[in-house]
Amino acid sequence: MLLKRIQPMVFQARRLYVDIMFQVMGRALQAVSEVDETVQNEARALPKGLLFEMMVMPEGPRLIVEHIGDGYFHYHGQSAPRPVDLSIQFKHIAHAFLVLSFQEKTSEAFANDRMLVDGDVSYAVRMTRVLNRLETFILPKLIAQRAVKEYPANLHLPEKLISAARIYLKVATNFVETVRP
Amino acid sequence: MSQKYYEFFCPVKVIAGKAALEHIPYELTGLAAKRPMIVTDKGVRAAGLLDPVIAACEESGLEIVSIYDDVPPDSSTSVVRDIAGVYRQEKCDAIIAVGGGSAIDTGKAVNILVSEGGDDIAKYSGAGILKHPLKPFFVVPTTAGTGSEVTAVAVITDEKKGVKLPFTSSFLLPNAAIIDPRMTLTLPPHITAATAMDAMTHATEAFTCMAKNPLSDAYATAAIKKISGSLLNVMDNPKDAEGRLELAQASTMAGIAFSNSMVGLVHSLGHATGAICHLPHGLCMSLYLPYVLEYNLESIREPLGELLLYLEGPEVYSATPAARRAEATISAIRKLRDQLYKRCQLPRTLKETGKVQESQLDHIAEMALDDGSIMFNPKEVTLEDARAVLRRAWA
Ligand SMILES: NC(=O)c1ccc[n+]([C@@H]2O[C@H](COP(=O)([O-])OP(=O)(O)OC[C@H]3O[C@@H](n4cnc5c(N)ncnc54)[C@H](O)[C@@H]3O)[C@@H](O)[C@H]2O)c1
Ligand SMILES: [Fe+2]
Repeated sequence: MLLKRIQPMVFQARRLYVDIMFQVMGRALQAVSEVDETVQNEARALPKGLLFEMMVMPEGPRLIVEHIGDGYFHYHGQSAPRPVDLSIQFKHIAHAFLVLSFQEKTSEAFANDRMLVDGDVSYAVRMTRVLNRLETFILPKLIAQRAVKEYPANLHLPEKLISAARIYLKVATNFVETVRP
Repeated sequence: MSQKYYEFFCPVKVIAGKAALEHIPYELTGLAAKRPMIVTDKGVRAAGLLDPVIAACEESGLEIVSIYDDVPPDSSTSVVRDIAGVYRQEKCDAIIAVGGGSAIDTGKAVNILVSEGGDDIAKYSGAGILKHPLKPFFVVPTTAGTGSEVTAVAVITDEKKGVKLPFTSSFLLPNAAIIDPRMTLTLPPHITAATAMDAMTHATEAFTCMAKNPLSDAYATAAIKKISGSLLNVMDNPKDAEGRLELAQASTMAGIAFSNSMVGLVHSLGHATGAICHLPHGLCMSLYLPYVLEYNLESIREPLGELLLYLEGPEVYSATPAARRAEATISAIRKLRDQLYKRCQLPRTLKETGKVQESQLDHIAEMALDDGSIMFNPKEVTLEDARAVLRRAWA
């Protein structure tokens, strides 16, 4: 009985959370590409103008960033100016939630068939490394270790970005604690 | 609730053992196919391997309508288009690929064109593009290594653009894989060794990389046991049909394992080396396997240690303290490589191949970092890491 009443609220909250996390990540991707050399070096190998999308199937939340050249990303929000070149697609909102609430590593989600790549796999490999790097920026070390395969030794954090993002993280952690079955 | 999730899929009928080829006519008829085409290469034909296949079909009143025997080692978009042309002209209605990974991948790609239409195979590159089952397709492997008969992947070179096009779809899987010991008896020692090490690498990486799961584990360990039990016997006695069948089955099992759990850094480095230095795939696998396991060691200590049981048997396993089993597994693989070197000079280092320049290592490292399989390696690989592994594999 209780479950029946709570379930829809959980679904709604989960969608909202994924939505917000995509926005956080989109902005953070842009910000990190402006300050972090490692991310810039990874991104430089991508074609200029490449549109990258992360989305939830079938028509769920999405985030779109563009490689505007020289290793810089620009966040486009939810809509792309033209058809995207590389898309990472979660099969279900529940799977996006697992990854975006740092309960499952991005690489693990690939390994577990939670998501698909549409586009050049070598670009997807690069974007996964960028996302890993991003997660180590946003997350406190303890949680980041869960979210990425390896925690890098050489992090020089742009404090402003981190503190902003960590506010969301707090929301995330509370949320996970509340709804974890 | 368990935190573990996995998927496992293998719908390929396996027809294996004595007189397996003679089942082909029945299987074709079951799919209403009457005009099969054989796709193969010159080496396979020269080894006389088509004769038993053709004889098996003709005896059942089934005519092989066309034979294409010009598949090159790195099959290309134009070859695929040519074969599709012949298929249409001869009004064929099924494909039988007879050969190693090269002929099998080509057969898969041809099947896309003749089923979906058109002349441009590049159009179907990528994952999940195909939405319908393809024409009846059968695979008769003649090498025991790639496991392509049970993988949903094909790789074809686009000559004009100079890139390798990947095709991924479960519709690429054949209706049946026919594993007959007669088909690998003629495999020269060097190719026997290299392709067996490809299968060994598939099983080892399947068992130690990120997407390992209980079902793929079962196939991987069984494959390793068969390879370590039979490979050296077959090297000493190439006509050992029993041993040949063991290796062929191991290759299929390792293929089932890795297509459900993926591979890691050995394959990333191997794909890059193959592309830059044109070394055979199996040779690259044999080269890199121990060095990558050493690099991954602390992330895979436990599963790697378990493999000792399948490589060296229960006595050695139980006599080795648990804490040293992972290292002992790597030693066992090195020992096997030394034995293969003794028997057919299968190179153990990049230098021993005589085909790689030290100055190429950086390029190999960079290319490996873009390879899809690096995503499933248990350790996050940086450019520096890849360079370090390559330096150790150099000499
Ligand atoms: N689709 C997949 O899952 C997958 C996986 C791994 C590799 N591959 C592809 O497979 C190819 C390598 O395949 P391979 O290692 O099986 O080699 P191969 O098919 O290129 O054959 C190697 C050589 O051995 C000869 N040969 C084959 N069987 C013989 C026999 N029984 N007797 C005498 N000679 C024989 C062939 O004529 C050829 O010259 C690569 O192109 C690689 O890209 C595909
Ligand atoms: Fe392989």
